[in-house]
Amino acid sequence: MDLFLQQVANGLVIGSTYAVVAIGFALAFTVLRVINFAHPDIFMVGMFTGLVAATQYPVVGVGLVMLAGMLGAGAVGFVLERTVIAPLRGRDVLMTLIGTLGVAIMLQNGMALIAGPDPVAFPSLLPRRSIDIGPVALTLRQIANFAICLLLLALVSFYVRGTSYGRATRAIAERPDVAAAFGVNVGRICQFTILLASLMAGAAAVSVGMLYGSASAFVGLLYGLKAFICMLVAGNRYFEGVMVVAIAIGIIEALVTGYLSSSLRDAVAFFVMIGVLYYRPNGLFGSYSS
Amino acid sequence: MSALLEVEDLAVSYGAVPAVEGVSLAIAAGEIRVILGANGAGKTTIIKSLLGLLRPRRGAIRFEGKTDLLRLKPHEIHRLGVAWVPEGRQLWNTLTVMDNLRLGGFGQKDDTRVERQIRLMLERFPRLGERQDQIAGSLSGGEQQMVAIARALISQPRLLLMDEPSLGLAPLVVRDVFQLVREINAAGIAVLMVEQNARQALKVADWAYLLATGRIVESGPAAEIAGKESVQVVFLGGHA
Ligand SMILES: Nc1ncnc2c1ncn2[C@@H]1O[C@H](COP(=O)(O)OP(=O)(O)OP(=O)(O)O)[C@@H](O)[C@H]1O
Ligand SMILES: [Mg+2]
Repeated sequence: MDLFLQQVANGLVIGSTYAVVAIGFALAFTVLRVINFAHPDIFMVGMFTGLVAATQYPVVGVGLVMLAGMLGAGAVGFVLERTVIAPLRGRDVLMTLIGTLGVAIMLQNGMALIAGPDPVAFPSLLPRRSIDIGPVALTLRQIANFAICLLLLALVSFYVRGTSYGRATRAIAERPDVAAAFGVNVGRICQFTILLASLMAGAAAVSVGMLYGSASAFVGLLYGLKAFICMLVAGNRYFEGVMVVAIAIGIIEALVTGYLSSSLRDAVAFFVMIGVLYYRPNGLFGSYSS
Repeated sequence: MSALLEVEDLAVSYGAVPAVEGVSLAIAAGEIRVILGANGAGKTTIIKSLLGLLRPRRGAIRFEGKTDLLRLKPHEIHRLGVAWVPEGRQLWNTLTVMDNLRLGGFGQKDDTRVERQIRLMLERFPRLGERQDQIAGSLSGGEQQMVAIARALISQPRLLLMDEPSLGLAPLVVRDVFQLVREINAAGIAVLMVEQNARQALKVADWAYLLATGRIVESGPAAEIAGKESVQVVFLGGHA
């Protein structure tokens, strides 16, 4: 029972990270109808800008390192939207898919040139401490990661549900033409949506860097794949559905790691996807027809 | 006539396929005008061009004699005071009735005015008041049409474009909708409507255009058009 609870807790921590990346994917797909394959590498860039801030200016503290990560990721997201997504949006989804895939490859290899292809150490900004919560022991970094991701998810949820811009964002997701005809500046909101997704990814990336103490030019691959699967499993109709699925996949992965074998961990998401899509091709919570 | 909206020689194609060819029409403030045409005649194409949602191949669209709508984005056209009741309602079905209405006032400077308009609409349509927190997609067809109309009126437009507002509604509801068109017009809003329900539409309209395969084949005062044989031709697709 203790192992079970411990693994559930570990799963929540990692699942909340998947959720942040997955929400970024889902925002781009649901609102812009764009599969932004560069999103995981925007996350990666955020991790490295955070890393640079943390190593160059060791005294700046977690908050500022996170800000650096957000700025780095946000800047790349902004440029990507202006140069690749905005000009290609509204055409075939394949156009933006290929365009962003190209950017993804550029970012990965560009970073591998700068930082080397192997993982590098990410400074540990938080003390190495373990905290017991009943039978469960979590490190301070795990708790910080979970808290940061949960906060990001809460913020995006509030934005989408509770603000007039968020309402317009959902309106675009369902009917972009009608939204435009009712005064919504669709281009502007799309721009903001990509920026928001990128800023969130940057914050989560710094948090993940601290959690594992390492950063790599190819860190985006695994997160990207899992986040993409989360979106497919949930369907693109409800952002919260994507969050729930991401956290659930994190928990299942942790349980598989704990009870079976860690080598099976990365296959979990695929099994879940195949199982769910077989029975519900539009995802667990439904999708907009395109 | 000093036109509120003036369309001149409009031509729109989908790829290489022409849908509207050389259409000219106009509407003045305070008027109700109707474009009658069968399925595929090009009615929705005209409306979407006016809204900036389609890029015409040729032509001019002027608002108040000066503003060239072809140069504006849809949200900018909306800001001039143009609102839309789309074909088949096109509500945001995953959003609540209230959210649909709020979005009708999106981008309006004056929040209290928007709130007041929403309150007025909920009073005018008490059924929507009862269902304001319900998901719009779960309403009946007639209720959805009321939301679509209310949503378009929140911004207090000067010109209302209505695309087949009677489509798919029960006869009693159809009567309500046309009654509502009169009411909207009486409040000083110009209404440009496209319809297939010629009989009812001609009763409320001041002026009518007949559209067949993308061209206007006839136009005149609604009462005159109502007496014409060509109305029958357009709608039955037969010969005079
Ligand atoms: N997206 C599109 N792509 C290609 N052709 C289109 C498209 N939309 C409409 N058309 C064609 O353009 C012509 C006019 O269509 P439009 O929708 O304007 O007709 P309508 O008068 O509104 O018809 P209905 O009464 O059925 O709504 C039709 O021949 C239609 O097939
Ligand atoms: Mg139509």
